[in-house]
Order: sequence, then C-alpha cells, then structure tokens
Amino acid sequence: MPIAKQRAPRSAPPKQPTSNDKQLLAFAQEAELAVHDLYATVVSSSKFTGDEAAMLSMFTEHHKAYAQAINGLLGKEATNRRNESIYQTYVGQLTTMQSIYATLQALENTLAKTHIDILGNLEGIDGAQLVASIITAEARHAAVFGTLPTLSLSSALDNPAASIAPASSAPATPETTVAP
Amino acid sequence: MSNFENLSRRELLRISALSIGGTAFLAACGKQSGVQSSANIASAGSVPSLQPANSGDITDIVLLRTAASLEYNAIDTYNMVIEDGLLTGDFAKLSEAAKRFRDDHVAHAAAINSLVVSLGGKAHECANERVDRLYIQPALKLITTEGNEDTSRDVVALAHALENLATQTYQGVVGSLTSPKLRGDAMRIAHDEARHAVVLAQVLNPGFASVGPTVNEATGKANVASVPSAFGALAIIQVSLGKANAEGVKPSLNMETPSLNGLIYDNVTC
Repeated sequence: MPIAKQRAPRSAPPKQPTSNDKQLLAFAQEAELAVHDLYATVVSSSKFTGDEAAMLSMFTEHHKAYAQAINGLLGKEATNRRNESIYQTYVGQLTTMQSIYATLQALENTLAKTHIDILGNLEGIDGAQLVASIITAEARHAAVFGTLPTLSLSSALDNPAASIAPASSAPATPETTVAP
Repeated sequence: MSNFENLSRRELLRISALSIGGTAFLAACGKQSGVQSSANIASAGSVPSLQPANSGDITDIVLLRTAASLEYNAIDTYNMVIEDGLLTGDFAKLSEAAKRFRDDHVAHAAAINSLVVSLGGKAHECANERVDRLYIQPALKLITTEGNEDTSRDVVALAHALENLATQTYQGVVGSLTSPKLRGDAMRIAHDEARHAVVLAQVLNPGFASVGPTVNEATGKANVASVPSAFGALAIIQVSLGKANAEGVKPSLNMETPSLNGLIYDNVTC
C-alpha cells in the first residue's frame, strides 16, 4: 500500500491547489510554455538533424506536456500564455549549435530551480506531486546537455542557475541550510 | 405437492427418516474420531510462521530517516566500487565520477539528517538493511558470478539503478511530507540524484538516440535511457546484471522504493 495512504489524517494537507498555489502554478505553466516555444524555435530552425533533432523534439513535447498537466490543475484559471519575458530573454541566444545547447541547458537548470522553489510553497498535494515529477525530468534534460555531445561532469551535475520564481514563493529558509 | 397441514402420518415418517439419514451423512464427512487433524490438509507445503513487520507512526522524521538510509546504501556501494577497483578497462575513467557521486551522497545524507535533527528526530547514519539485503547483495552476487564478462558495466548498471531508486524515493515522499518546505528540500536532492542517473545512463547506453526510451529488439527489454519518460516515474526499477544465458539475456532484478516494511521508524537503529 502506498505510504501516502498510511499516513495519519491528522496532518493531511489539502489535495487541490489553494488560491496561492494557483498563482504559483500559473507562473510555472507560463514558464513551461515559454521554454516550449524556445525549443520549438530551435527545432523549426532545422539546425539539427537525425537523432539530435529527435531528442530536441522530444524535449519540446515534454514541456508542452508539463504545461498541459498544470493546466489540468488550474482549469479555468490557467492563462495558457507563455511568459514573454523568459522567451524574449533567451530567443536571441539561440544562434549557433553550441550556444543553443548552452541556452537550453540554462533554461532547464532555471526551470528546475524555479520549480523547486515553487514546490517549497505549494500547499496542495496534487500540485506538489506534479511539480515534483517535472523537477526530476527537467534535471535529467539539463544533465543530458552536460553529457552530449561530450561529457562535462560539472556541467552535467551542477546547477548554477538561480530560481526565477515569484518573490512571494521564495523559500522561508535559505537553501544553504539544507543543500549539500 | 402436499403442504404441511395435509401431511399424512406415512409422509411425516418418510421426511423424518430422510432428515436423520442426511444428518448422519454430513456427520460422516466431518472430523472422524481417532484421526489426528493436520494443519496441512488441503494446502501445498507448510504455512510459515509470520514475522510481524516493524511498524510505527509514519512521520516526516521517519520518511527523512528512510531517505538518509538510502543515501548510505549509495555511499557504501560507491565506496566498495572505488576501494575494490571494480571499474576496470574503459570504465576505469569513471572512477573520478564515482568519487564525486559518493561525495554528493555524503553531503545529501548530512543535509537530510540535519533536517531530521531539526525536527526533533535522531539522525540515521547507516544503510537501509532491507534495501541492502533485497537488492544490493543479490545484485553483487550476480555481478561477481564466475563467468560474468561485464563486471564493470554491471557495477555501473547497479549504480544507475540505485540513483534512480533514490530519485524515486524522494519524489515518492513528496505526497506524504506534511510541510511544503520539506518537500522542496527533498526534491532539491532528488534533482541531484536524477543528474547522477543521466551520467551513468549515458555510460551504459550513449548517444542522442539513447536519451529517450527505446527497446532492445533482441531481448524485448527496455534499454537504459537518460530521460526514460516525460515525467519523473514512480515505477519498478529493473536492472539486468550478471552472466548472460545462451540467448545473451542477463538475469533481471527489480527494485522498488522502500515501503512500510522498509521505513526507518523511530525505533530502528544502526
């Protein structure tokens, strides 16, 4: 039986997103849509072919799936718009193949850190579980760019990006208190 | 058909006789005098005595202590890999990565245990015995089987499986931790474990074509993938290890995140 079902109900958090959760999830969705559109720009540029193009297309679809999943939690309150600030900040950096990979990795790192911050403020379990499942996938995306086309261990393992989560969702305790 | 009001004396006697005969027949089917009853009748084999599982309240502290125990499983495994020189040949270049992974797990264990202590619990500074007994020791037995020609590769496969196990464990407890902050802290570490898994996945199955999910056409089994699914999965982790059979198929070992009988409750000590 799943551990979650065994927990005493006395401390059970809400299942559905709270109103504050919805604001954070809406930001997360807009960020995902911006990254999706940036990937789509790369894919449509035809700079990459074969297996590389297939991988980038897969990542593009992943980000769309994240936005759609968050939309499922937000319902009518979802904006379904991309975060224009993120898109405009990065779209100009998608020039050479090398800069494209660096930019996409930076985006994945940023999203992963942002979602961790957001997760640290979500009360509703449904939203928390969804965001958690996105974090591990985006961490993997970012690490892939550190291993291909050539392995750089630090690039694959380290995430130097800063969270761009809304200020209200910043963790109450500094990250350094628990992060290794 | 006659009703009870119209029963004749003869019919009444016939019914009584049938009732007595039926009762005697049923009694003959039951326990017989002088025959010793056996607990094993109508069962295959004997019923083993049950050992009650360790149990207790599942608190944030218990979940975090369990996560810490898995960190020690990883630390112990990497230490063994490094100290016993299990990475040889082309895999020897991974030794530095193995040290980095080990050091990361040491830092993760310290971070998690600091959370445990801050919540009023006792730090857990040793490996999860059940995970070691059910997964790691059997895996090592398969890896060190005589005739296994892929020892180093299998060591990497085991490490990859353990990184995925740790990732899933942290992701899995998000639904159970009561505090949003603790959930964020757990996933901060899961984020690192997932990245470890990618590096190892690319060693086992390198290249752009291997990033997403693929299937080995010869064996029908899923290949190792860097990003096996769009969302972080909470599923059984299958790892193939040991000496391959005549068809080239290695034995499989299935791993699952700790459940109720694998948690590090407050009364569990090292």
